[in-house]
Amino acid sequence: MSSAELVKHHEEPEEFGGYFVINGNERLIRYLILPRRNHVIALIRPSFSNRGPSYTQHAVQIRCVRPDQTSVTNTLHYLANGSAMLRFTWRKQEYVIPIMLILKALVDASDKEIFEGVIMQDYENTFLTDRVELLLRSFKMYTMHTGSQCLEYLGDKFRVVLGLPEDWTNDAIGMWLVDKLVLVHLKSARDKFRMLLFMLRKLYSLVSGSCSADNPDSPQHQEVLLPGSLYGIIIKERMEEILNAIRTTINIDVRNGANVDFNDKKYFAKVISRVNFDIGAKLSNFLATGNLVSPTGLDLQQASGFTIVAEKLNWQRYISHFRCIHRGAFFAELKTTTVRKLLPEAWDGRKNLCVQLDGAVIGWARPAVAVQLARNLRIWKTEDMNNVPLDLEIGFVPESEGGQYPGLFLFSTKARMMRPVKYIPNSRDDQVGSFEQVYMDIACTPEEIEENVSTHVEHDPTNFMSILANMTPFSDFNQSPRNIYQCQMGKQTMGTPSTAIQHRTDNKLYRLQTGQTPIVRPGLHNKYAMDSFPNGTNAVVAVISYTGYDMEDAMILNKSAHERGFAYGTIYKSQIIDLKDVRGASKSSTPTLHFGIGSDIRLNGENAHHCKEFVDRDGLPFTGARISPGDPIAAYIDDTTGRTKFIKYKGDEVGYVDQVRLLGTDAGDAELQKIHITIRIPRPPVIGDKFSSRHGQKGVCSQKWPAVDMPFSESGIQPDVIINPHAFPSRMTIGMLVESMAGKAGAMHGLAQEAAPFRFTEEDTAIDYFGKQLLAAGYNYYGNEPMYSGITGQEFAADIYFGVVYYQRLRHMVLDKFQVRTTGPVDPVTRQPVKGRKRAGGIRFGEMERDALIAHGTSFLLQDRLMNCSDYSTAWVCRTCGSLISLGYEDVSLGETISASTASQGQRSLQPTGPGGEYCRICRAAAQEQDERERQAVATGQHLQQQQGGPPQADINVAISSQHVLGSRGLKGGDLDVVAIPYVFRYLCAELASMGIAVSLEVR
Amino acid sequence: MAEDTAPIVRIRELKKDSVNFVLENVDLAFANSVRRVMMADLPTVAIDLVEFVTNTSVLPDEYIAHRLGLIPLVSTNCDEAIRYTRDCTCMRGCSFCSVKLELHVSCSDDTTLEVTSNHLDVVPYVDDDAVDTGDEIAKRTANFGHPVGKSDPSVPPILICKIRKGQELHVKCTAKKGIAKEHAKWSPCSAVSFEYDPYNKLRHTSYWFERDSKTEWPVSDNSKEEETPRDDEPFDFNAKPNKFYFDVETDGSLGPQEVVMKGLAELQTKLANLLLGLKPTDEADGGGAGGGGGAWGDAPAAQDNAWGGNANQGGWGGGGANSPARWGAGGARSAASGGAGSSAWSGSGSSWGGSGASPANSNAAAATTGGWGAGNSSGWGGSPSQQTQGWNV
Repeated sequence: MSSAELVKHHEEPEEFGGYFVINGNERLIRYLILPRRNHVIALIRPSFSNRGPSYTQHAVQIRCVRPDQTSVTNTLHYLANGSAMLRFTWRKQEYVIPIMLILKALVDASDKEIFEGVIMQDYENTFLTDRVELLLRSFKMYTMHTGSQCLEYLGDKFRVVLGLPEDWTNDAIGMWLVDKLVLVHLKSARDKFRMLLFMLRKLYSLVSGSCSADNPDSPQHQEVLLPGSLYGIIIKERMEEILNAIRTTINIDVRNGANVDFNDKKYFAKVISRVNFDIGAKLSNFLATGNLVSPTGLDLQQASGFTIVAEKLNWQRYISHFRCIHRGAFFAELKTTTVRKLLPEAWDGRKNLCVQLDGAVIGWARPAVAVQLARNLRIWKTEDMNNVPLDLEIGFVPESEGGQYPGLFLFSTKARMMRPVKYIPNSRDDQVGSFEQVYMDIACTPEEIEENVSTHVEHDPTNFMSILANMTPFSDFNQSPRNIYQCQMGKQTMGTPSTAIQHRTDNKLYRLQTGQTPIVRPGLHNKYAMDSFPNGTNAVVAVISYTGYDMEDAMILNKSAHERGFAYGTIYKSQIIDLKDVRGASKSSTPTLHFGIGSDIRLNGENAHHCKEFVDRDGLPFTGARISPGDPIAAYIDDTTGRTKFIKYKGDEVGYVDQVRLLGTDAGDAELQKIHITIRIPRPPVIGDKFSSRHGQKGVCSQKWPAVDMPFSESGIQPDVIINPHAFPSRMTIGMLVESMAGKAGAMHGLAQEAAPFRFTEEDTAIDYFGKQLLAAGYNYYGNEPMYSGITGQEFAADIYFGVVYYQRLRHMVLDKFQVRTTGPVDPVTRQPVKGRKRAGGIRFGEMERDALIAHGTSFLLQDRLMNCSDYSTAWVCRTCGSLISLGYEDVSLGETISASTASQGQRSLQPTGPGGEYCRICRAAAQEQDERERQAVATGQHLQQQQGGPPQADINVAISSQHVLGSRGLKGGDLDVVAIPYVFRYLCAELASMGIAVSLEVR
Repeated sequence: MAEDTAPIVRIRELKKDSVNFVLENVDLAFANSVRRVMMADLPTVAIDLVEFVTNTSVLPDEYIAHRLGLIPLVSTNCDEAIRYTRDCTCMRGCSFCSVKLELHVSCSDDTTLEVTSNHLDVVPYVDDDAVDTGDEIAKRTANFGHPVGKSDPSVPPILICKIRKGQELHVKCTAKKGIAKEHAKWSPCSAVSFEYDPYNKLRHTSYWFERDSKTEWPVSDNSKEEETPRDDEPFDFNAKPNKFYFDVETDGSLGPQEVVMKGLAELQTKLANLLLGLKPTDEADGGGAGGGGGAWGDAPAAQDNAWGGNANQGGWGGGGANSPARWGAGGARSAASGGAGSSAWSGSGSSWGGSGASPANSNAAAATTGGWGAGNSSGWGGSPSQQTQGWNV
């Protein structure tokens, strides 16, 4: 569709697609880093030696990819006894086979053939000959001599695992195994054999130290998993599953003796109907969750996180989702940081060498011949001759002492990372891959070309940077981490997410209402049409310490600039109201709830319901209505009660109803039950909001001074933003200073300043270029100006750096973050304040804070925080037994008293209680027990044993000082006191009691 | 000596929306106060309330309302011609304290229509609920409250928003009087350029330079007014700045002359109120107030003479002649209301509005503005009406 058509369909005019819309979100499949296909890499991993006895840390690995993009990884482990084991994975289970078994099975190779194939005339290399001899000898124990013997052996061992038809011979199963799991990128057995010999050679070379291990974290050995490939792979596997399921169903039928007739169409229809055919559901589940449900694991290192939501926070964030390459979920969990090293190859230079094309050995050549071959291929591919494609990667690895294994490796398959450069000999475009460029000399700029060294030159020195990095003006003047910070912050900016905001239904959208195009911008700004999505405002910035409110990265805003609309933003939020989900909705197909206001609500006259300001008679909100938290935004009538009910606005900010969407059914024949309301929340900048320039210089607005109090220049210009000069020395963001000069000169002369990096040199400096422009505009060459205090009118003792810088407003705003609480909800169990901003909770006063107060000696404050303002409670404690939880009450008010259990004896009828009738149940029970015992002693005439009754001994004793005792000793000898304690302590006592541990409070 | 100490104002250039003048023989503090007052304390009218009847444009209501508020409206003689809404006796706004504007544009063409400030029309009050009467309306100019430059084809109109076919914007606006301290939209100035000591003889500042300060720093045009210092000139550490170069640029709501004159008047009023507040209570109703006023009367008199010296500004000279007398009256008036006023300064601020209003109105000859009755936070709302005579622009 053309842009005009797209706009007509309520889409972005520059919509490029590439995503799936799932539940209203734009989800996309991420690019993922994978090992380079069909290329043997040498690995040294200490963990390999833990695989079993005689395993060593040496191995070579190859990820083989079939034409349908499915892959199998084969690893060749070196054993301490000189032989090698081939490892592969089948249905997430690993298997190892002696390499000799495979070599023989492939081509029925004789020992001599193998020996010669590995040694390749290099008989002097005794290390190599010894190993190969050991390899060959070690296989003698298997007593297998022919290929078919090996195949049969393999088939026999793997028959159960592979689950192939039972009537297949061992031979066939062996063939199948070798075909489907060993070097699957190659078709013929001879090719596989040759490649295995090469792998063996590389392995022995790695072990001997004549070649180094390859770095799997280097882009040289990586490629990209493309969304389309992954999608295809998943479809293939689902299909396989279905076919397997059909086979299983038929198998079951056969076993059960059902009528299996392969000539009957009906039978097949029946079988198919019993098999779950829904590939679409599986794929939509994959897209919606990003989780890979697979029996084989697809030779991938992760099972989840394949898809992400493309957030439309602003255009920069959105577009970066489509351009980023994920390193894999395992990467994020890695503890080592070596993999994060920036390698030179990530930047965009013997005897007979092996020549390989896409992982197949196509021949051997002497080094000089190989060099010539590489050069010829390079010329052919750039000049489009002899059918050599432009994207052929010609990786010539020269011989070296202990370096990377040499050879000429050609790659022509997809999913490789390539970039365009210029080939110097014929000035043609060339595509360079990440494997070959390590051995190439590519000049960054035409000036850097060295005679007879450089073969290529970059089209543009900024080509190595991402879109976001390219948007930073003068990034070559900045300290590199600051440029990275800007790439992060550019994605958090409150900018323009979309030009079709009115047609979008996102849950939350941030929008800058007063966006501007930057005066200072790199050329790519125009190329990527960033002007359609303004991301900030050109602010007049003074670098000065003024009033102290700009300390520590704070910044002062000009209140008058703010009042004129500086950095004014809006948030769009959505609320969906579905009457089906409302309580009281009927489950049947005919709805009992209807949008509307019933006659029970008075809409006219003096006592009109306040809802009439927000909700129309149809029950839907007025667009443009100003709504506060708790205001009704929709009304519905319940058929069963006949009453009108309201749905309230849930947000905690004042907003405006922007749009109301009526969501019907696909057929459009059902009654309206669901609406979608977009609420517009204005967010003018307030103190505490975050801003940043494009140089990783973020700051929080700390004060808004009125224009009269702001400093001013001689021409009467007052800054919009004041930042502190201390923001610069340690961060070294010289780019921001240059931008300030360039912006000032651009504003004076009406220029959009070109700000791409690497345009200036030591001889032709940016300072000079913009300084001259400033001079021409009547300013100081370096961008300084004498300024005056707005408060006193006195000229400042120093001149002030004053210019125009593009400022971004970041989405982190205090209104979303502030957390205040005086009193509020408490936890029902502990009666302590709850946590969490959403629940109006408090911020934890933790152990370390407690330590600080103790160390500071502010004990009253400590008690205030930890007790009085937290879970202060009063409790009865028994003086005798010290128990907190033994309170009992007698209802004195009714004049009742409980007689002693042995009331019949009439000795004691009254028990001691407090004034309110309270008593300690433990002590009373103990007293009664003692009483009883005494009575029995009297009755039986025995002496009372020296067994003390009294209160039972507690396990834990806690002393409580008198100042916490609130009530005095009970008058009637109830022995109970009221003490102030934290409620959790009482809870703790109860919990401990449930475990049989008594806590005793000693009241002094 | 008298010439040395008497303030001098010399107008260098007067354009439609800017005035460039030199102010001499005043303190730095005074010069800066003038600057601040001109920027932040002069009342103008600006759209303050917007009622949306229809808005089908792409811009949200509050955003359009904000843009409407920033449109400068003609506010000539604003302190007399309109009241603050808070001082008005009406309940919901009346013709004395507000101006109604309406904008109703819809697009029926295939081309984009630009809604501009030219579409804003002043509409008369229909249901005016004004309780009392006043002569404010009589003091208005014909185009009072209109967007600046509406009938002038040489002034490009201000864009409010763009609408396409089928879209409509219909708003009813209420413009009110206010000052820039409240919101920047009420500021009559777009920029006030201010400079003194272009050669840095006072060494208030130090110029940073790479090699040579003189070649690297451009000297401003104002340096032509001053003697180029010799290299061997000794530094006079007692010197104080006394020559200030102003360039006041307005947004058109007030003329540059009016901005400067009203700025000075406003400053006087502020100082008068300050003096009044500083006076002990027992002196307040004596002749001391008049003396105080007289003392302050000197400076404006000299100043006005300077203005009067300019041949073009004959009308202002008349004002200058009146000024000592004015101040006398002003002082007396201050004294009269001082009894009530000073207690307000010292103690409860609330008594100021109610009790202060009536003596002011009864004493001052032509005072009907009720400016003293200001319940506003700063306590000095409005300027004495007498001062406006003679230079109504």
